[in-house]
Amino acid sequence: MTIRSLCITAVAALSLAAGVAVAASYPEAPIVYDKPVKGVVFSHKTHVEKGLACDMCHNRLFEQQAKKAQENKDFVMESLYQGKYCGACHNGSLAFASNTRCATCHIGVKGEERSKTGGKTEKKGH
Amino acid sequence: MNKNIDLNNLQNEGVENVPMQERRDFLKMGLAITGIFAGGSLFSAVSTFNSAHASDFAKKYPYKPHYSMVMQQHRCIDCERCMDACVATNHVPKVHGAYRTTILEKETPDAVGGKREFIPILCNQCNLPQCTRVCPTKATYKDKTTGIVLMDIKKCIGCLTCQEGCPYNARYFNEEKKAVDKCNFCWDTRLSKGEKDTACAHACPADVRIFGDLSNQEDRVFKIVHQIEKAVWVLRPEAGTRPNVFYTKG
Repeated sequence: MTIRSLCITAVAALSLAAGVAVAASYPEAPIVYDKPVKGVVFSHKTHVEKGLACDMCHNRLFEQQAKKAQENKDFVMESLYQGKYCGACHNGSLAFASNTRCATCHIGVKGEERSKTGGKTEKKGH
Repeated sequence: MNKNIDLNNLQNEGVENVPMQERRDFLKMGLAITGIFAGGSLFSAVSTFNSAHASDFAKKYPYKPHYSMVMQQHRCIDCERCMDACVATNHVPKVHGAYRTTILEKETPDAVGGKREFIPILCNQCNLPQCTRVCPTKATYKDKTTGIVLMDIKKCIGCLTCQEGCPYNARYFNEEKKAVDKCNFCWDTRLSKGEKDTACAHACPADVRIFGDLSNQEDRVFKIVHQIEKAVWVLRPEAGTRPNVFYTKG
């Protein structure tokens, strides 16, 4: 027990120390998943700026290759509710729960188009 | 205090001073307070069943089934599977401005939590449609049996007056048909063939679009529209068209 907690402390300290280096090396552009539904955003920037270290997600929850997770059949909301993928933190205690604030991550097809063009989407139907 | 209340000669002391919480507690039981007696120790009440919530819009259901849709707006994620399903089912051309249903985006940068919300829209199949009133050729009409606002494209002269009349921006000119086209709750493509829902509701992965029969008390649509725990509203009520598409949240 003591050894384990020591290890955790060491890892946490290392992560903090490596913080600056880590922050410089993450992908800047947001990742937008398109399966199983279109337009679900993940921003490294937002998460790194909150002080999260790489190893909190990589490679335990997510591989480093972008959008690799969406090839898995269990990459669905139900898995998040069970603590997998984003649900490891987005559980209502560490971060807002996965079954709330849907449109925070689900930026939709419109958000996806905006992220590609870097600006506003053309409004449809007007 | 006189403990022997003369039940035959009670005077209604008026409901003006009944506390709001008391009224709400009764309303949750489906009762509206109509009188208080004996210094507030007795209440009289009637069922609110017939004067249901959102009653201005949902008072009468003249059709059987009375097709209706409820949008659980907070669940919409703009994945647009509904729009894709509609296009595939109803042969909506993939050109700018052509849609039978679409999703609006409202950004709320100052909100706590979510910074945007998505609002799906489609023809509201109004009980008092303006589009049918203004159509000079009766190409668009409220179907007498289904209550769905339909198009007879042979009669459409493309004057677009119906577009002007529609408060919901639910009509577009279809170049292929040379006529105005609109959502008809998938009447020709699904409902008339025995399907129980629209293509958009069927495709929705987030249970946003709930399609059903507003005249059936056992139907989910009826139950959502008539509960009083959560607000239910319609878009542009001031247009007075008594729409059959309802919205709720939370």
